[in-house]
Amino acid sequence: MTIMTSLRLSQRRIRGALTLPNGILALFVLAAITAPVLAPQNPYDMLQILGWEASSPPGTMSGNGYRYLLGTDGLGRDIASCILYGLRISLVVSVVSAAAAAAIGLTLGVVAAYFGRWVDAVIMRAVDLQLSLPTMLVALIAIVTLGPGVDRIILALIIVQWATYARVVRSVALSEAGKPYVDAVRTMPLSHGRIILRHLLPNSIAPAITLLPIEIGHAVALEATLSFLGLGVPMDQPSLGSTVANGFQYLLTGQYWISLFPGFALFALIAAINFAGEDIRRLWDPRSRSL
Amino acid sequence: MTTKDEKAPLMEVRDLTLVHRGSSGSTPIVRDVSFSLGYGQVLGIIGESGAGKSTIGNAVIGLLAPGIEQTGGSIRMNGIALETLDAERRRALRGGAIASIFQDHTSSLDPLMTIGAQLGETIAALSPDLPRAEVRKRAVALLERVGIPEPARRYNSYPHQLSGGQRQRVVIATALAGSPSIIVADEPTSALDATVQKQILRVLKGLVEEKGLSILLITHDMGVIAEIADRVVVMKNGAVVEQGSTAALLENPQDVYTRNLLSAVPKLRRSNVDVRADTPAGADGNPGQAECRPARDAILVVDNLSKTFGGKSILRMFGTEKPGFALRDVNIRLPRGGVLGIVGESGSGKSTIGRILAGLETGNADKIELNGKACDITYRGRGGGLLGQVQMVFQDPSSSLNPRLTVVEALTECVRATARSGDDRSRSRIAKTIERLGLQQAHLDRYPHQLSGGQKQRVCIARALLAGPQIMIADEPTSALDVSVQAEILSLLKETVAENDLSMIFISHDLAVVQDICDEVCVMRNGRIEDYGTSDFIFGRSENPYTRHLIDARPKIFTR
Repeated sequence: MTIMTSLRLSQRRIRGALTLPNGILALFVLAAITAPVLAPQNPYDMLQILGWEASSPPGTMSGNGYRYLLGTDGLGRDIASCILYGLRISLVVSVVSAAAAAAIGLTLGVVAAYFGRWVDAVIMRAVDLQLSLPTMLVALIAIVTLGPGVDRIILALIIVQWATYARVVRSVALSEAGKPYVDAVRTMPLSHGRIILRHLLPNSIAPAITLLPIEIGHAVALEATLSFLGLGVPMDQPSLGSTVANGFQYLLTGQYWISLFPGFALFALIAAINFAGEDIRRLWDPRSRSL
Repeated sequence: MTTKDEKAPLMEVRDLTLVHRGSSGSTPIVRDVSFSLGYGQVLGIIGESGAGKSTIGNAVIGLLAPGIEQTGGSIRMNGIALETLDAERRRALRGGAIASIFQDHTSSLDPLMTIGAQLGETIAALSPDLPRAEVRKRAVALLERVGIPEPARRYNSYPHQLSGGQRQRVVIATALAGSPSIIVADEPTSALDATVQKQILRVLKGLVEEKGLSILLITHDMGVIAEIADRVVVMKNGAVVEQGSTAALLENPQDVYTRNLLSAVPKLRRSNVDVRADTPAGADGNPGQAECRPARDAILVVDNLSKTFGGKSILRMFGTEKPGFALRDVNIRLPRGGVLGIVGESGSGKSTIGRILAGLETGNADKIELNGKACDITYRGRGGGLLGQVQMVFQDPSSSLNPRLTVVEALTECVRATARSGDDRSRSRIAKTIERLGLQQAHLDRYPHQLSGGQKQRVCIARALLAGPQIMIADEPTSALDVSVQAEILSLLKETVAENDLSMIFISHDLAVVQDICDEVCVMRNGRIEDYGTSDFIFGRSENPYTRHLIDARPKIFTR
């Protein structure tokens, strides 16, 4: 392939990736990274918060010289800033936990499919056990045992999510392992690890990639739920979920903005992640590269 | 049967042009194809993959794949142009006057419905007022018509309880439910064994003769054409190369392409078959084992190889089910530098032998010796005795290569895995090998999906070769390829084995292929060796009824 054609291909691929959901997702990530610069207020710093401006409606001017675009919450924190900072927590928690769960589930699923017999039986019964327990219950038990904190939440989410990947990946790996290309490398003196890593895993990864954004979205929602229940991230480090939870009690008194705007942000984030997932899956397939 | 095709043909296709509209512009699939199908006639459309023959079939049925459009010409049935009909009337025609049969009999039937229910559903859909008992009666009659034994009992069977041939008969019965005047049969027998294929073709022929049906038969197999087609249309790259009556075309093909296609079909040699007449009858009862074992020493000795399935699981420990035998007491001697053919129908255990010897499956044997050294086949994986010494070439080249690795990556891995010492000449070895196998340097950086079937199979042979084996096992290496490519791959395999001092086990269902390439032949049936001897013996003098049965199942013209 000449340089010219490969350039043209990559151009087309880049253009293909320029869709609305991907743009929104990129904006979210950018906003999360630049939150300290972008946000007018640091909601984690009590000194920057003016208690008497609590529950201001959207558009109110602040005594600090900026406008509360989306209003303030019951403690006087700027909702817009809370969303920006909350994004950071939500994204880190969900992406890290989903990626780790995917790595664990992927490995176990492929190993189960490749070795079969008792290895398969042990791994898959563990998966069955995990999947038969309600997600929320497992997460709650994990948090209660592990204690609060962002890292604990990530750990709890990994425990909850790995089994789904393992099950989905195993079924694909099982059919891949039966194909002659795997047979062909099995007739060579190659180590099991090499056959799995180089041949089986890359060809069984597609469903995990499809699942990943769905599960990231799921993790965002789960973290929000845990935070909503008061078992999530600490109060002084609000995530999107805990910001929604903070405003919940004010909804009935007409102060809609505290819950509504973070809720919108949460919805847009999860939706954008799910849409973007389809593009990632397509880019992984070598057959789409020559199109 | 009177053929009135001189007067008004049943179906006339004129200047048919079908175009695929994709994101990168439109490409013609079929260009200016014309033919006509008379009453009670079988018209064969033959061509290699990508010739557009199936697309024509779909156009006639009215089920073109999305993106494909008819941009020119017409398909007329009884004088009515089908493309002018609206969707509603087109659908009424489908399953009514025009029925279809596809290759894959397994996916043509619903696995959750009994065959009677499926057949009855079709009958009831076509004549809604029919009482239930009458529907059943008709369904049973149809099953009987296509030769299902005990149709009234089989009526309640599920598809998985039938054999492949019986399933295809049911598919034909379903097609007959609407009393069609045309059946479009797209590779109706390609998934079946030769003997079963013959039976199915006889059923189709019977329908033509008795009911005056017309069949549009789409196939890649000259044997099928020779068996039942009255006229043939030869297609290549979407255009008609040649057409005419089957007899004339087979005897005296005009076009170069047709001639190549015909000569590429492997044929059983007549001279050998004739030898049988000269041999006095009553050769000894166990001819194979005693017959002309060559003086050459054997590189591979297999004594009493058996494999069981079922019966070993804990779950079945208390069951009464006896273990079944996939292989039973198989004895093989592979002569050094020779080619041993293993033939048999599907389920005969021929592939299992290959897989055990390659270390992909386990088995039990009294003795397995490679070069006089005993090997253990009771476990799989590293350390298995034959590992690395035996390499396989598989049937389907498109799934035999890791889709994520380029050719050079796949081959390098193979060289590295088996290199005796730290070998950094891998690239030059690979380059030399693929060149010898008829590939170019440019192919090295391609992914498998960017190669043709024949090229992929060459890469597979290169991979097997680069692993430095002593024995090659080729399991139906040409069955998934076009006829013209088959011949190339076969001669390539033969040369490769000779040049590299290898021995080969060649597994196939195709007797003619085996005859061409093998020194010795072993005929398998139900996991046992039925007949064993030199190629000349098996094809010329063997009195074994099963061997004769297999040879006779070949389409007539290719055994003459």
